[in-house]
Amino acid sequence: MAKIIVVTSGKGGVGKTTSAAAISTGLALRGKKTVVIDFDVGLRNLDLIMGCERRVVYDLVNVIQGEAGLNQALIRDKRVENLFILPASQTRDKDALTQEGVAEVLDKLKQDFDFILCDSPAGIERGAQLAMYFADEAIVVTNPEVSSVRDSDRILGLLASKTRRAEESSDPIKEHLLVTRYNPERVTSGDMLTLDDIREILAINLLGLIPESEAVLRASNQGVPVTHDISSDAGQAYSDTVSRLLGEDMPLRFHEMQRKGLISRMFGGGRR
Amino acid sequence: MSLNVDSADVAFTFKGGMLPMTVMELSSADPEHIRRQLASKLSQSPAFFQHTPVVLSVEKLDEPHLSLERICAVCRDHKLLPVAVRGGSEPVRQSAWALGLGWFAPVDESRAQMLKSVSSEPVASSEGAAPSALGDESAENGESSALGATRVYRGTVRSGQQVSASSGDLVVIGAVNAGAEVLAAGSIHVYGALRGRALAGIHGNMQAGIYCRELTAELLSVAGNYKRLEDIDSQLLGAPAEVHFTKEQLEIKPLN
Repeated sequence: MAKIIVVTSGKGGVGKTTSAAAISTGLALRGKKTVVIDFDVGLRNLDLIMGCERRVVYDLVNVIQGEAGLNQALIRDKRVENLFILPASQTRDKDALTQEGVAEVLDKLKQDFDFILCDSPAGIERGAQLAMYFADEAIVVTNPEVSSVRDSDRILGLLASKTRRAEESSDPIKEHLLVTRYNPERVTSGDMLTLDDIREILAINLLGLIPESEAVLRASNQGVPVTHDISSDAGQAYSDTVSRLLGEDMPLRFHEMQRKGLISRMFGGGRR
Repeated sequence: MSLNVDSADVAFTFKGGMLPMTVMELSSADPEHIRRQLASKLSQSPAFFQHTPVVLSVEKLDEPHLSLERICAVCRDHKLLPVAVRGGSEPVRQSAWALGLGWFAPVDESRAQMLKSVSSEPVASSEGAAPSALGDESAENGESSALGATRVYRGTVRSGQQVSASSGDLVVIGAVNAGAEVLAAGSIHVYGALRGRALAGIHGNMQAGIYCRELTAELLSVAGNYKRLEDIDSQLLGAPAEVHFTKEQLEIKPLN
């Protein structure tokens, strides 16, 4: 049975789409048949990050409105087997999505796939609520700053009340915290919230920590999910994240400042 | 409590009781006007309209002859159950009785003033009943927390969420995050960090208190007397604290 995972945050620009692309790529690289759906109707980005923007013909809204079949709209990833993208429409708005339509699409996808990732739009309006409504698990993407943490907190409240699992009072959605753009130097200097602060406020399990990295920007602009850049810190961090999502126990990396040299090593400095 | 010695023979016993009751204070006698406002309220908080008993207060109206029957029908259409009328002229009293409703004497001006100040705050948010005078002795401060059950909430109260105990104390086993709101007719106990808004004694209970393991609250209020985060002595922040209303103001003390 397929698992439906929503990637959400409340706040925009924290790395939802980057994370959805990277994690779905990571899952497919491990042989899991995975589809990633862009719910950001009207502001579609996922196809750019996945590097398939030139191959979009039909989209999610076309499928929901019966203008195209699901197989016509699904785009097969060129780099990884088992990975498919269902893009959003750029010309419609979020009112084109209906709950019944989304349910129908997800039900069909469930029969063929191991993982269905829903890339949520920012905000807490209709698009975001539909992206989370049918989820089994949620990855809440948070930056180490106050406003992002508060918005994530709000989203966690919605996950616990405005989703199918909440309405049917079945097992609650499994919530995961993914901290992105983490910069240990700036955390140490007090410019950013610490990982402990974030975990204390949000009080959910930590799935992964992605360091702020040049590799992420490069990957986005090239349309190659950062998981492919296995030499980069961010690529490795996403790979660890995928392992944890699959139930493996991985030690946390990239959350401490690099020791800079012999002197700091001698005095044990630089670490908190 | 009651002395039912030969209980087998007793069909009933009379007991004094004070029940929470919503007073619907009318400022218009026009049934259509009332209907419109009820309809919009109903869509905002449907949970409140569950055949909720209400006392229609007509003290503020200056009309000797109002169509009580139509007003009652409008209320029933919106699942409010008028059980009595308070105040009004002699014809109003007669028509209340004719409709099978009870009638209460108007409260005097000073009490009306007090009730108004108490009830203005909580009604919008909590789904419970507003305070009322069923008879002249009720609605004294301190009674409401004794009446209701304690509500225990386990888990984090998150931004945008509201947890309320409309008739008793509220216990939160977890944190109340920034942007969240907890309300109680009685006291509020937070076994975690209090970062959001906490309003105790929402029906006017001045004896209510707020207790928490870590104080960083955006707003603290006891019976409508409040302090914002900015007003709180910074030395008290981040530590266990208790909050009470004493000597006309909110007092925050470290909790040790």
